Amino acid sequence: MKSWISFLMPEDEYKEKKMLYFLAEGGVLLFLFLVIMIISSNFISLDTGVILLAGIAIFLFYTLGRYILSGIEHTDIATEKEYKRALRALKSRTASFVVVFGIGYLIYKITSDQASWYDFFGMVISVGVLSFLLDFISLKRSYKKNKELL
Amino acid sequence: MKNNVKITRIKTSMTQQQLAKKTGVTRQTIGLIEKGEYNPTLQLCIAIAKELDKTLDELFWEVEE
Repeated sequence: MKSWISFLMPEDEYKEKKMLYFLAEGGVLLFLFLVIMIISSNFISLDTGVILLAGIAIFLFYTLGRYILSGIEHTDIATEKEYKRALRALKSRTASFVVVFGIGYLIYKITSDQASWYDFFGMVISVGVLSFLLDFISLKRSYKKNKELL
Repeated sequence: MKNNVKITRIKTSMTQQQLAKKTGVTRQTIGLIEKGEYNPTLQLCIAIAKELDKTLDELFWEVEE
């Protein structure tokens, strides 16, 4: 099936179908949220910036959350050996990401003249932990799902 | 959907990974098809049947006993 969104979709047909569902569900939730906000705006004053940001957050968190919890990211991790290898790779990937993010954020902080070590370490540690957790949950769910399919 | 993919694959001494690679999908997808938890497209059914050297009937047709 030809669609402009095809370039975002994976090759595997099961994964593609699941992702299309997640995106469609996210789209419907976003639509409902916007309808509720339009109705609410007649009764209360709403900050447009906050509402738009909330809409983006709803769509992103929903689709990302569904994707992570569905266990379709690591499709080939089915044995304990593969899981442990993937976990080691995940740890080193997170460490590299934290270093690159840390350097980028440090440059931003210095150039924007808002240097504060508390802010810096707080942000880098939070991003690192969040990134690791999301990847770890996805890996764990994928492993559990794949193990049952062997 | 019940099917004979798993039993046929095992008879041909092929792993899920090998079948997945040959049919252009992931191992997870092959596992889901074998367990009857995912209904593949006709295109994928044909690809699997060709790799396992069977007809669609032999792999996917339900026969009442």
